[in-house]
Amino acid sequence: MVCRAGSVAFLIWCIIPLATAIISSFGGASPHEAIESFFTNSSSEGRGHTNNWAVLVCASRYWFNYRHMANALGMYRSVKRLGIPDSNIILMLADDAACNPRNKFPATVYANPGRLLDLYGENIEVDYRGYEVTVENFIRVLTGRVEASVPRSKRLLSDERSNILVYMTGHGGNEFLKFQDNEEISAFDIADAFEQMYHEIFFMIDTCQANTLYSKLYSPNILATGSSDLGENSYSYENDDEIGVSVIDSYTHFVLEYLEGINKTSQATMQDFFDLYDPSIIKSTAGVRSDLFTTRSAAQTLITDFFGGVAQVEVLEEEAMAGLGVDEENRVHTEGVTILPDSSQPARSPSHSRDYRSSRKEGLCYFLATRSVHLDLVHLTPGLVVGSTLAPSLGCFCTTPAKATWSWFHPATATPFERCYDNHLKR
Amino acid sequence: MLVLTILALQLAVAFAAGENDSEQFSENLRLRPLQDGRLSSTFEFVTILRTRTTVESESAFHEQAQHYTLFPLALGQLLRRYAVSELHLTLNSGKWNYESWGDPDYPSVASGAEMWAWIAAGGGESVDQRWKGLTNGLSGLLCASMGSLDKKRTTSPSIAFRPEGDLPSGKSHQLLYATLPSENVCTENLTPFIKMLPCKAKSGIAMLLNPHRLFDADWHGMGVHVRWLAQEGIELRLTFGAVLNPVRLSLNAMSRDWSFRSVFDRTISRPCPIATSSSIYVKLPYADPYSLTPDISRTAPEGVAIYDLRDRLEELDVKMRWRDPVFHFRPIENKQPLSVRRLLLGGQTRADLSIQLMNKENVTRQVLWLETMPWFIYFYLHTLTATIDGNRMGKAPPHSLTRIASYAPPTDHKPTLLECIVTIPPLSTVQLTVAVEKASIAYTEHPPDASRGWDLPPAVIQPLDHHGPRRIYTSTLLGDLPTPDFSMPYNVIIMTCTLVALFFGSIFNILTRSFIWVEVEGDDDAQDLVKQKTE
Repeated sequence: MVCRAGSVAFLIWCIIPLATAIISSFGGASPHEAIESFFTNSSSEGRGHTNNWAVLVCASRYWFNYRHMANALGMYRSVKRLGIPDSNIILMLADDAACNPRNKFPATVYANPGRLLDLYGENIEVDYRGYEVTVENFIRVLTGRVEASVPRSKRLLSDERSNILVYMTGHGGNEFLKFQDNEEISAFDIADAFEQMYHEIFFMIDTCQANTLYSKLYSPNILATGSSDLGENSYSYENDDEIGVSVIDSYTHFVLEYLEGINKTSQATMQDFFDLYDPSIIKSTAGVRSDLFTTRSAAQTLITDFFGGVAQVEVLEEEAMAGLGVDEENRVHTEGVTILPDSSQPARSPSHSRDYRSSRKEGLCYFLATRSVHLDLVHLTPGLVVGSTLAPSLGCFCTTPAKATWSWFHPATATPFERCYDNHLKR
Repeated sequence: MLVLTILALQLAVAFAAGENDSEQFSENLRLRPLQDGRLSSTFEFVTILRTRTTVESESAFHEQAQHYTLFPLALGQLLRRYAVSELHLTLNSGKWNYESWGDPDYPSVASGAEMWAWIAAGGGESVDQRWKGLTNGLSGLLCASMGSLDKKRTTSPSIAFRPEGDLPSGKSHQLLYATLPSENVCTENLTPFIKMLPCKAKSGIAMLLNPHRLFDADWHGMGVHVRWLAQEGIELRLTFGAVLNPVRLSLNAMSRDWSFRSVFDRTISRPCPIATSSSIYVKLPYADPYSLTPDISRTAPEGVAIYDLRDRLEELDVKMRWRDPVFHFRPIENKQPLSVRRLLLGGQTRADLSIQLMNKENVTRQVLWLETMPWFIYFYLHTLTATIDGNRMGKAPPHSLTRIASYAPPTDHKPTLLECIVTIPPLSTVQLTVAVEKASIAYTEHPPDASRGWDLPPAVIQPLDHHGPRRIYTSTLLGDLPTPDFSMPYNVIIMTCTLVALFFGSIFNILTRSFIWVEVEGDDDAQDLVKQKTE
């Protein structure tokens, strides 16, 4: 996100240009092919998403719709906790509840009576706010048709390997959702906007007659769920007497309660979650639409596939690594580098990731061969944000007693391990 | 972890090197107890980038990578990309009360968002395109709606907002000015603000930037000020001001004692190591007895206590206690030499805009009165009248009281701009009144909460004989506009559709249906056929 990228980029080392020598230094075609196939992976088991995005929309204005702001912010906190960084979250809030003059507790939004957990916190980035939250802007974000000068933080920079969570809340009716009590988006608009720029979409909507909003979807690989059936209202959950308004909606409260029990390594599936839907608890008939979601079933889809930003790290085959000059005994699990998506809790790279380390007298190099590097932000010390990358990469992280350097190589300029040494240690 | 430590050390070395070199960072906090029991606090973070030029040429932009140690890169990239030599952006909330709080530490206290920039012209892109890119870029950088500062809101005053720094010679520069009075300020703006600071909020005076207290303040505002000084380089000044209310925070105790702990709910536990200077200035009251702890490092001549954070290793919590435990509100002493009031009186379409300028000094003052209004507000300048202390002066322009310096009528959805030089005789009040008309706008141009009215930008009064860039802002106005019945288009569409369906449908039906005579009686086969068809 532009909001933050600048202060950190001074540490990103420039991508080393492609040289034909690189290819020759592989000592044969096979490692190079391995790298090629790694990034254009077509094997069935590896054909997953490589990045996660979340579009969270609160379409309601006015103080009495506090609960809709709390709904969207609750989702924001949950997806951020599960690893989607701010740069991959488009948060749209149609009004300012936190610093509203009517808010007795400035700069806070609570989703529970008793005000136990402040959803606004001290670190939040709202990408579209106030009058900017319009149907036009929402569709522009989803379809990527924005003006050239619109900053990265306001764009959905998804690709064909993106899993997108789209969460909407507001006041709606049969096949429409109101924006700011002024204009509407129809189920047809949403269906048309969902046609492109994704791998899979999970669409969740909390509004009256929400299930009608996903009824017109026609594009493949979309899983959708809504809070209430045609003709049904979605109700608020609880009031806080001091805030003076309802603080959250019943369905979103149910979702957030469930997400509280999920962490980044959770193996819970969407089906597990849908099975918990109970109209007597939610106070409306929450629905699921999975007929478009055909490549796998909801039972094979993890909650974290959409709500989490879990990096899918895949490692090259042994022989490919051997070709790159990495010995089997030098292979280690990454211990030293802690991957922190934004400022949430520390998370190691997933347990199945294997990264490579090799030491020489000049120094020590880590070699990260990950296809989906989502090390959007690598925090090396508290407060120091070091690297940022969105593209699938080969990473190289070398240290000597005097310096530590770090670089990513774009797949097109894949640099073998020897090159890491040349670039980082001998310089 | 060894790896991390090495990298951290490496960075520390880099910072230390940067300190003496081309970039310098300093910070200070100014605290001033106010006569109404409030406490004015102004955080100031200054980064100086020593460089000979402020704007890089187009080719340099592509060829030369930007590298800064302390200066925020995201902002530097925007400034370079859009050839911005000077930038002032403020996001404020509340009305600055000049009468009881005196002059603000920073003159830009307009409610909502205010932005002005001096942008270099030439080089393939128009200044308007650059402004658009800049506003959009800043909206992403600061999470604010600056992207809506389009040509409907942007003007170019000819006298006000002169550069506060230097402009590089050899290039023509243009001033662009825009306001967004309804913009709010909240944590999402403070988050990127803190990220622009080299020490973030982890050390130094920025540790006190607690959103829950700052946004609870009676007035608060943040600012980004960039200027170029030919001798120094590019200066970035990040400011955050808050008028805190210790009396309110003390609940029923009604005490105006304050401490960092009580007003910010934080203390400073460690200094920012890369700051070349890090000071806290406390203005000492001269009338009421007080005590200030801990002991002051030094005192400046004009009654200001100074705490130097750099040589301090222990936690710092500055406390001021007054001898009288209960604060008694007293009549406000208004020491302002010039006071301004602005009113909009009238109905939804015709109204009178009137501004009152009170000169309390025994000298004649000359001020610039700047009005920028949305495109739907027309000024009838021939109706401009002036009164002194209530005595009507007749039509103004022939008289020496007012001189219209520039006027841009609202054509083509551009805002109205009026710059008028007003002479205020000694110890008198000048009231200027002008009739305005509020045009009906298309129903799609109304904001979603149209019935609330439009927030109209504050007027700016700039004393012309005063040294330094001091400005006075009036409060914003709420303009009530004629609003249509927003459901009317739907009614019309529904009615039209109904009529079309009724008339066209029935005529089409009659014209295209063929009527066939079917023999039913006595013929069983035919009856079966009819039955089949009707089923």
